[in-house]
Amino acid sequence: MIEINEVTKQFKDKKKFITALKHVSFSVNKGEVVGLLGENGAGKTTLLRSVATLLTPTDGEITVAGYNTQQNPNEIKKHIGVLFGGETGLYDRLTARENLAYFATLYGMGKHETKVRIEELAKMFGMRDYLDRKVGGFSKGMRQKVAIARTLIHNPDIILFDEPTTGLDITSSNVFRQLVHQLKREGKTILFSSHIMEEVSMLCDTVAMMHKGELVYHGKLEELYRSEGSRDLNYIFMSKLVRGNEDYAS
Amino acid sequence: MLLKIYLKEMKDCFRDRRTLLLTVLLPIIMMTGLTFFYESLISEGEGETYSLAVEKSFGAKEAELFSGMENIEFVQSANPEETLTEGEAVAALVLSPDFLTSIEKGEEASVTLIGDSFSQNSTNLMNLVTTTLTAFEKSVTATRLQSQGTDLSVIQPFTIDQKEISEDNPNVNLLAMLIPLMLSLAIGVGASPSASDLFAGEKERKTMEALLMTPVNRSTLLFAKWMTIASVGTITGLTTLGVVAAEITFLTENLKQAVSFGDNAWLIIGLALVMTILFSMFNASLLMITSIMGKTVKESQSYSTPVMMLTILPTMIITGIGINELTFEHFAIPIMNLFSLLKELLFGVINYEHIVITLGSNIVFMVLFFIIGRIMFMKDKWVMN
Repeated sequence: MIEINEVTKQFKDKKKFITALKHVSFSVNKGEVVGLLGENGAGKTTLLRSVATLLTPTDGEITVAGYNTQQNPNEIKKHIGVLFGGETGLYDRLTARENLAYFATLYGMGKHETKVRIEELAKMFGMRDYLDRKVGGFSKGMRQKVAIARTLIHNPDIILFDEPTTGLDITSSNVFRQLVHQLKREGKTILFSSHIMEEVSMLCDTVAMMHKGELVYHGKLEELYRSEGSRDLNYIFMSKLVRGNEDYAS
Repeated sequence: MLLKIYLKEMKDCFRDRRTLLLTVLLPIIMMTGLTFFYESLISEGEGETYSLAVEKSFGAKEAELFSGMENIEFVQSANPEETLTEGEAVAALVLSPDFLTSIEKGEEASVTLIGDSFSQNSTNLMNLVTTTLTAFEKSVTATRLQSQGTDLSVIQPFTIDQKEISEDNPNVNLLAMLIPLMLSLAIGVGASPSASDLFAGEKERKTMEALLMTPVNRSTLLFAKWMTIASVGTITGLTTLGVVAAEITFLTENLKQAVSFGDNAWLIIGLALVMTILFSMFNASLLMITSIMGKTVKESQSYSTPVMMLTILPTMIITGIGINELTFEHFAIPIMNLFSLLKELLFGVINYEHIVITLGSNIVFMVLFFIIGRIMFMKDKWVMN
């Protein structure tokens, strides 16, 4: 479903170039849940944005659902749903229903289809009580649910989450985790970044570890446990970084 | 799709109290305040009574000199200057002892007029007193020359006859400054919060990323947002024009007399409306760029403030220029041409060449700024923080 091939991304900062991604290659199969691990600044968000067609790779190519991100971005956008962490990206002066309906319109959905889908998502996330209230007055958890519903409004096959549980309380985080399980059962392909190891080990089949823009590991989680002789993902992650960078040895 | 996005943006904008406040309430308050200020400025002096401090010796004969000036009220005092300082009068007049007798006898006499040039009332009263005493001085001189058998033409070798080329009410010039200034300011101030919210605000709230993740063309998004800014500006502009027209018609006398469009009334009103819409569109292109430049609403507003200040500049240039002195440049430079064209229209002049230049110039600059905005909006650097 997602093919990342030798992707490099550089940003120009004043007169020098900063390399955010260095020759990253891996693929995500249909129905797979892949956790993207890494510290802040490792390149996780840049990689997700590149997959989401928001950023153009400096070198290499990305294929999503059979379409190249640079050649067919609009086709890809029909197949993916993206939720970037930290911010929920909702219009405060619109109600939850209006927010969802607006994005449904942008995805080209018809009125009836939108109505049915909103009811479906409202039931799924328990949002019926506040569906017609303005988002401005919502708690963080409520906003996050509406944002996830917005991401799924067009029923995408591929879902990208960028640190989706950042700043959420335990209840809201659990709601998200249950959702990922449900989406997995529905056969959706999910690529999400996180620095919460417990979350990754609970939800993912496969992990991709990144450090300073480079992919330091990509493989099945069970294989990783076996090869490292431990089921402590936090410990494994740190030891991978130590091997990849002398700074961590001290 | 364009219409759907536009309608959502309009709904979102008008649910914002700032937009409602700045598009409807602010023009009403601003125009009401300024209309009454200019009305009072024009009628200043009419029916106003000024207090003039005079000495106790100032009698009925002296008062007779001012018999034509019914708006001068005399306040007798032992020390007129002190009375003035204490604020009981706006000017003080001190005549030399036996002033009128001395003049009759041909002896030396003097007048001391004390006032405060920083006070408009004091200046007005001093002008009235000086005019009256100058007329009295001339009549004394004439009487003395006649008694000596000298012809009056000796002291008046020629007369000056001033003729006014413009038949318009002089107060129309005030309106020609007031209306475009308020219109341009209202459109700028009214559309600014929406403009900042539609690009910089969306980046700040991260809704921009969510929008860009949809299969909608970026140009469609940009055009819908530009239409929203232009619409908010137009609503503010039309509200401003409506309020000023209603207030001048129903609540003023002097300003009302100054406006007379004759047979061209509807054409002039129509052109003013077209100009308002076009200026709102031009303004929308400019504000769109400042909003795209800003990463946050606050940053965007700091870019748009100098742009709004630009709208005040033409007032200083155009106010002192007569409509016959307006040249190509006055109609070719955006913002300035709003002032120039509305000035002509308010004076009842319809010059089609000037109208075409003004409309054409606004369209050209509007399109140019829109293209710059589009180039910026297509680049990731400007749409993602």
